[in-house]
Amino acid sequence: MNIIQNIKNFFLNNLAILIFYYLSFSTFEGFKEISDITIFAFNLQMIIVYLYGLKFPDYLGNGHIFLAGIINDVVIGIPLGVSSLSYLVMSFITSYVREATLRSKMSAEWIAFIPALFFSNLTYFIIVNNFSHLSFYYIELLQNTFFTFLFFPFFYYFFNYYQTKILKINA
Amino acid sequence: MSDHRDDFIIALRYALLKKGAKQKFSLFFLISLSILIIGLDKISLPLIKTTRAILNDLVYQVSFVASTPGKFLDYLNNTKINHFNIVSKNNILKDEIEELEKDRYESLFLKTENINLKQALQLSKTRDTEGATSIMARVILEQNSPYLKSLSINKGKKDGIIKGMTVFSKNYLIGTIIESNYLTSRVLLITDLNSKIPVIIQETDINAILVGDGKKTDLTLEYLPDNYVLEANKAIFTSGKDGFLATGLPVAKTYLNKKNKIKVRSLADPQQAYIVYVTSGNVNN
Repeated sequence: MNIIQNIKNFFLNNLAILIFYYLSFSTFEGFKEISDITIFAFNLQMIIVYLYGLKFPDYLGNGHIFLAGIINDVVIGIPLGVSSLSYLVMSFITSYVREATLRSKMSAEWIAFIPALFFSNLTYFIIVNNFSHLSFYYIELLQNTFFTFLFFPFFYYFFNYYQTKILKINA
Repeated sequence: MSDHRDDFIIALRYALLKKGAKQKFSLFFLISLSILIIGLDKISLPLIKTTRAILNDLVYQVSFVASTPGKFLDYLNNTKINHFNIVSKNNILKDEIEELEKDRYESLFLKTENINLKQALQLSKTRDTEGATSIMARVILEQNSPYLKSLSINKGKKDGIIKGMTVFSKNYLIGTIIESNYLTSRVLLITDLNSKIPVIIQETDINAILVGDGKKTDLTLEYLPDNYVLEANKAIFTSGKDGFLATGLPVAKTYLNKKNKIKVRSLADPQQAYIVYVTSGNVNN
């Protein structure tokens, strides 16, 4: 009974990390899984990095972000370290926003997500452009970034609810 | 002004160097490590290549398992669609059409080749793929990201697969091997932006480059002569001018879309491929 409880606690406490690794291993891209609404693809990893970096930094370590990024690079087939660096840039901006914020407010954090996404994607573009011969699908990337930004509030409330109401952790 | 700048620098330093209560590494360390890895990956030392190949094999296997729920969703979706169609009759007809199409493309190619040979007797560099080994492989991962349209297959160097080999699905070319690990390989699909195949158009001696469009089956013909007007329902074959793809493989065909524009469509649907055949083509020639 104790073992089952421990496993349950492990899964509950590390949900963000598990989802983060799962997303890196799988080829999940939001609603792209449903063939009729491929346009709504978004990057849930970015949302998790930003949200957990901002609200619950002790629940998603930088080491996990780095490792998941490496895995993501292998799965996608781009130079190793690109996703890691992009996620870490996001994490860096998140840390700065966290330190500079006095009172947490969803709308302000949503707006602050724009420069975070911008610098993170910029890092991605620069490195892939200079360190590989890959071409981009710019429109797809733009759509992806836009919908990542658009779906942020939904995941904000979802993870916030999970951490504060289910795990009873103060944000 | 000075205080404001100091605050900014302090916040930046804090964000970069401070480790949280449960953080084992600082951001500065991990960012430096990422940059180092990118640099090492770019240099491509033999040790790095081997490490990457091992990492690829491991991650692909786990990734295959992790993508199972997504594939299950696809499966449910396909089952639903099939339920509303008359599956068996449809499949039989499809097979018949495929056989007829194959025969038609073969004869069309022979016709085109015959005309060209008559016109230019110096065309002696036809390549022979007879005796080329064909390796059957299963698609374990389909990557349809904005960066790369590719497939991962469950055969690698261990099974004799090397970079540059051609990959077929249902007798049609779908891509080439761009990365070969010990147990797995990655296939660059012809629909990817980075895929560029020298081709020849049916019943003409027009050479062009077939480039992926990033769409499901749509392709683009580049470097066509200025005054050449593309016609609908023309088959497109590999010309073999790149030196490693065999000559005369049917790849695509032209069609008239709903807006009355001539478009090029791949004969195979690479995203539907499950079992593929990898052949050496002219890699070893």
